Amino acid sequence: MATAAATRARRSDVAPPRPPTTKGRPRVNRTFYLFLVPALVLFTLSITLPAIMGITLSFTDSVGFGEFQFTGLTNYLALFSDPAIRSSYAFTVGFALVTVLLVNVLAFLLAVGLTAKIRAKIALRAVFVLPMVISGIVIAYVFNFLFSNSVPQLGQAIGVTALEQSLLANPDLAWVTIVIVTAWQAIPSALLIYIAGILSIPGEVYEAAAMDGATPMRRLLSITLPLVAGYVVINMVIGFKNFLNAYDIIVGLTNGGPGTATRSVAMTIFTGFTGGDYAYQMANATIFFLIAVVLAVVQLRLTRGRNAF
Amino acid sequence: MPTTRTARPPAPQPPPDPGATSPPTLASRDVSRRAFLRGVGAVGAGLALGACSRGSAGSGTTEIVFFQSKPEVIGYFDELIQQFHDAQSKVRVRHDATSNLAGSFVRERPPDIGCLNYNFEISRYVERGVLSDLGDMPEAGRILPGLQPLIDVTATYPDRTSVIPYSLMAAAVLYNRTIFAEHDLTPPTTWDELVAVCDTLTAAGVTPFYGTYKDPWTIAQGPFDYSVGGRLDTTRFFNQLKRQGTNVGPDSPVSFEKQFLDPVEQMQQLLPYDNPDAASRGYGDGNLAFASGEAAMYLQGPWAIGEIAKTAPDLDVGAFPLPMTDDPADRKVRVNIDLALWIPEGSRKKDAAREFLAFLMQPEVIDAYNAHALGFGVTTDTAPVTNPTLVELQEYYDRSAFYLGASQLVPQSIPLQNYTQSLAAGAAPEPVLRTLDADWRRLAFRS
Amino acid sequence: MTAQSLVTTTPGQVPVRRRRRFLGRGGEDRPSWGATTTLIVCSVAVFLPLYATLTMAFKTTAQSVDGQVFSLPSPFSVDGFVEAWKLTDFPRGFAISVFVTAVTVVGTVVLASFAAYAIARNWDRKFFRFSFFYLLAAMFLPFPVLALSQVKLTGMVGLANPVGVALLHVMFQLSFSVLLFTAFIRGLPEELEESARLDGATTWMVFRHIVFPMMAPMSATVAIFAFLASWNDFMMPSLITADSTLQTLPVLQSVFQTQFSSNYNVAFASYLMAMAPAIIVYLFTQRWVMAGVTQGAIK
Repeated sequence: MATAAATRARRSDVAPPRPPTTKGRPRVNRTFYLFLVPALVLFTLSITLPAIMGITLSFTDSVGFGEFQFTGLTNYLALFSDPAIRSSYAFTVGFALVTVLLVNVLAFLLAVGLTAKIRAKIALRAVFVLPMVISGIVIAYVFNFLFSNSVPQLGQAIGVTALEQSLLANPDLAWVTIVIVTAWQAIPSALLIYIAGILSIPGEVYEAAAMDGATPMRRLLSITLPLVAGYVVINMVIGFKNFLNAYDIIVGLTNGGPGTATRSVAMTIFTGFTGGDYAYQMANATIFFLIAVVLAVVQLRLTRGRNAF
Repeated sequence: MPTTRTARPPAPQPPPDPGATSPPTLASRDVSRRAFLRGVGAVGAGLALGACSRGSAGSGTTEIVFFQSKPEVIGYFDELIQQFHDAQSKVRVRHDATSNLAGSFVRERPPDIGCLNYNFEISRYVERGVLSDLGDMPEAGRILPGLQPLIDVTATYPDRTSVIPYSLMAAAVLYNRTIFAEHDLTPPTTWDELVAVCDTLTAAGVTPFYGTYKDPWTIAQGPFDYSVGGRLDTTRFFNQLKRQGTNVGPDSPVSFEKQFLDPVEQMQQLLPYDNPDAASRGYGDGNLAFASGEAAMYLQGPWAIGEIAKTAPDLDVGAFPLPMTDDPADRKVRVNIDLALWIPEGSRKKDAAREFLAFLMQPEVIDAYNAHALGFGVTTDTAPVTNPTLVELQEYYDRSAFYLGASQLVPQSIPLQNYTQSLAAGAAPEPVLRTLDADWRRLAFRS
Repeated sequence: MTAQSLVTTTPGQVPVRRRRRFLGRGGEDRPSWGATTTLIVCSVAVFLPLYATLTMAFKTTAQSVDGQVFSLPSPFSVDGFVEAWKLTDFPRGFAISVFVTAVTVVGTVVLASFAAYAIARNWDRKFFRFSFFYLLAAMFLPFPVLALSQVKLTGMVGLANPVGVALLHVMFQLSFSVLLFTAFIRGLPEELEESARLDGATTWMVFRHIVFPMMAPMSATVAIFAFLASWNDFMMPSLITADSTLQTLPVLQSVFQTQFSSNYNVAFASYLMAMAPAIIVYLFTQRWVMAGVTQGAIK
């Protein structure tokens, strides 16, 4: 990751007005160190130190306190054969993929609508961005009530048997509720990015297309979509990364249940506190970290070539 | 007298269900109003000082934190603390009933003394050596020698007396004596008699057992533990299992699949005698239903007696061990060390904590507690139980005809309760027990 | 965490263009009623849960258990609020949430702008360049990865409380904020700073009187991200804070779940009180929030 980031930074480094000097440069003003060092020290103590400690403990049999022994790769070997761990990853990745698709399709369509010639544009944008400021767990509790009461009522009224029982109690479908609520909350930020993307397309392009007689649908597919493709990639990667950390909304809806059907990776890691699996879940967290790094590299690669925005 | 009464199971605190109960926060949960009011004053100080506020409570006195969270007896212990304060002035005790215990050890801020159910959870604290040695205290010498195997099979630390038992619960099948009398039935002493009793009751239109399978812990500690414990020596089984290490499976001398299969099949044979809606009933429903005579038998421990009495104070309830074989001599009661005292190594006020421990262990204090909480005494000088239900179990206890519930010996990282729930729903036992073996193997591999 | 990415462009520009023809037909300038109506219908999805919260919160306990979520309160009752206020000790939860959020916002803006200024103006020095990438690395570290160790460490040093939560919030915001500030400062002309320095101003004075005021738009963006991340966070306070009487509003909702029991009006009144502050702030600042988030997100 560092290499990719460095390459990028060096390239953008050409932009600053001040040319880098290498010889005979004056001493750095001490104030600059005073500006930077507090952040570095606090950061090291609260991010780097825990990271190192966590990775170290993942090679032990620690339960979080008391005596422990180094056990080498034992935890990692055990992780790969643990069905509970595998199913939490399967659930989390599957959930993140479905959610990221749903969020982006809906956010894109809304962005198209919200950049079209409409009435009350600002007010409508404000409405669709509103969910962003609401706490995930709180809205999940609200939805929990709706899924337990209103949705079954609706199911009875329209005669859909699948909906008559609470979705939350259905091990095969509970994940759908999590997707819905997560999307409800995550659409705003994706929406804002798409709006910015669509607004950055020069109007002349549309005028030319209109003169050639392209239909609105054709214009949407042949002009808008390709021109905001970069934003789509960004939104997909960012969204996927965020959804992998799913926790709040699941706590409010199913708490990982029924059974362990909707237990996310983050949730599994946190069981390390109470279940005596401290070091084991540290190993899980380390694997999770490696996945995050891979995703970050993917993100950097994908976004590097698109300086259009 | 207890001020806090909840419908939660007292003694055997069900471990956090990996999926369905509370989210794994490390903050305490179920905060009482009282705890809240207590906290009001602490906000400012807490914000600014954090842990520094844990200092001593003033000049000359030492404040210790006493962790005890069994909901039914929180008020009782508050009164004991008051008595202790009245008796001396050097040590002040702060009762903590809400903190997350594991969190406090992870944060290296453990309480000074604890009084907790002694099971798979506390075994971690023992085995990792975070509990101090109490072997030099005279109180340690008063513990009944017959309990030592139970303590050791749960957890040991070399050359240490990590815990001192305080109260023991003996559990068996609760039965409605009136219903039994109406149908001329006596408590069965063999498996065949048990089945005959169930058939008689069914024929007479009475539900034999009341099942509450919505709450997984009630299956694990009821039907599952009674069936397993009635057939095999759980102490020997788990000691052997631990010796085998990762060698647990079809080829090992001892495995869940081998030894648990018969008892679990027998347990499933009793399922048809349950109330038809057992799968959707919980612990609270069960207490209510049994109290109103909806079933003749109820597989619950003494902790339910008080709950049942709330609805039906005069209900004549008896208890008998679930007979699983054809030999009446095989009958044993399920026990668990409901409360045990311990003092963490991390406490900086061990002397004050020991003073409080000695106070709690005074014969009149400990006997009064056990009489109140329907526990059996754990000391050599203890008084016998007087509760009309539990007197039926005293003889088993006196001759050590008891076993530790298997569900209390399986570590928390294995979702045993969920497995027993699927067994109660009628799942084939072999695959479930094989999964249990695999889980145990994996756990042994990494610990 | 909200949308964040690593693409840097000219700072401070929200791409806003006036001439917009999108689904519009040819040269028409009439607003489309069809699209407007469709969007209004879609906005029901946003309002539905909020409407449910409102109606439920103002019902009596008796009415709230009938399962008719969308019926209007009858009689109209504020009992739920009274009860929730007392039960969860709302004023305290609110004060703690405000405290944590305020410390996070101020801490993030101050620490990140200081660090970013030092980095941007000394980019030719290895130490500062290295620091930049070092701070950036945390963008790849989600909280669950560090949670287990952070609980232990905060507990050991007496920070298992809102102070520790605020500190960690700042640290998790730092990477992204330093990135935004650095990009912004690089785009600022240095002539002003240099002439001030020639007039004898110290680095601190230059920062305080010239650079920091010029960074105001980016500070607003950073502050908005910090606010949203901190005010609504559940994961970190729920794990870090040891004493549940010191919990923030979102966490209190989960702490009191069992005690709300079937008093749904109390539960929903509590949810409403937890949501309301952010919604009210948003109503007054939505233009800035939208502009700020867009600016941050497309960076």
